[in-house]
Amino acid sequence: MAEQHPMTEAMYYILLALLKPGHGYGMMQRIRELSGGRLEMGPGTLYGVLSRMNREGWILLTGEEGRRKTYAITEAGKTALLAEYGRIKRLAEDGKILEEVGK
Amino acid sequence: MNRKYKFHPGMYELGENEKFYSDMEARGWRLKKRGGSLSRFERAEPSRARYRIEVYSPPFLEHSVLPEEKIAVFADCGWEYVTDCGNLHIFRAPEGSSAPEFYDDPAQQAETLKKLKRDAVWGWVPTVAVWAVWLFIYLTLNGAGKFAAQFQTSLVELPPLFLLAGVLLLQALYLRVRSAWIITRTYRRMKKGIPLDHSPSKRRRVHRAVSGSLRAMAILCGALLVLQLIVTRSTDLPEETADPYLLLADLGAAGERTSFIGRDSSVTYSPGLLADYWDMREYLDDPSGMGPALYQDVYRLRFPAMADWLAEALMNTASLSRQENFQPMEAPGLDAVWVSHRHELVAVKGNMAARVTYLPSDNFDPQLICAALAERWTAG
Repeated sequence: MAEQHPMTEAMYYILLALLKPGHGYGMMQRIRELSGGRLEMGPGTLYGVLSRMNREGWILLTGEEGRRKTYAITEAGKTALLAEYGRIKRLAEDGKILEEVGK
Repeated sequence: MNRKYKFHPGMYELGENEKFYSDMEARGWRLKKRGGSLSRFERAEPSRARYRIEVYSPPFLEHSVLPEEKIAVFADCGWEYVTDCGNLHIFRAPEGSSAPEFYDDPAQQAETLKKLKRDAVWGWVPTVAVWAVWLFIYLTLNGAGKFAAQFQTSLVELPPLFLLAGVLLLQALYLRVRSAWIITRTYRRMKKGIPLDHSPSKRRRVHRAVSGSLRAMAILCGALLVLQLIVTRSTDLPEETADPYLLLADLGAAGERTSFIGRDSSVTYSPGLLADYWDMREYLDDPSGMGPALYQDVYRLRFPAMADWLAEALMNTASLSRQENFQPMEAPGLDAVWVSHRHELVAVKGNMAARVTYLPSDNFDPQLICAALAERWTAG
């Protein structure tokens, strides 16, 4: 697999949130929980990222309730998310020397 | 009144519009509908609501309708959809709402402005191209000289029309350049990560002055145009006249006045900024049915220096002759005369200029016409 570009923070958290299928409002709440209240995602950002990831095949439309659409992550999305998680973990591990230097 | 209409800021001034609607609501007027240049408001409790504009440019040839799902996502965040106009979609968050801003990163919002920016910067091209093609066809068919001459005579006859057209053109140009500049600046700032100013201070003094004076000029020119049209009079031709045009009787033709293809012998007088203008036609009855006919365009110019310039244009726009048909002729009492063998002549004296057409050709006597004109213009 070709090396994928680093994800934006918004993409990363939306994919994390969609490990459990959900719609806009649910996603935003879960993102807030996952980030410990740090991330308050704007609707423009959320909608823009959802449309893009849907086109990329990383997420999938699973249902519609009125005008709300429910999405879930796809296998391709999970692979991308795992790859990104691996990348971030490596970055963090490589940065561990900071803890010694910092002291 | 529970309803109010107000002019809103231009569509490219996003922050100004957001502030405008918030300010209106703070004064007890809630936005209901945005139109081309007016917004409609309805009475409501004054409150400190936030307004935000989402620019949505649909794919080519599709209506600019915000997807239902997008509206739902915005509503989930606390943004109520109010109305739209073109590519602008307006949302409102009531007082005390913690609805987050639309975009976490201004650069993402910049992406939504791309098409709006392209339209503002290049939108004039199709219009100008259509006009250029039209002008090219027209010039090819009629010749540039004739076009310029028609322009010149119309300018002398009805200057306010040209002033108005000029001011409107200037206004359109100014607004175009300004919109392109505003949206390009907004786009670049967002790209750099600077968020939109949702509550810009009123620093538009220069713009207000420029657009205000352009508007005042347009109104003034429009008023002048209406005024000239009001004072322009079309009347039956008098039996005798002291005005600076000739009657057939002055040229020794006798007979009853008549009409020709439904047009009566008449004179139209139009006093204007650059010239007083008489446009006359006279027909006399004759047993042959082809009696003498006289047509004149006579100008009393405000500036004598314009006379030669106008004479050139009159030759170029003559209905029976082409410009090359006209030859100079000496005529006592006149500054200059050009005669065409097609029974037309153009004469100039001081600030007076005229084009005379005399039919039928057998009776066309340029010397007689010139002598009569010289006498009339000297007396005048």
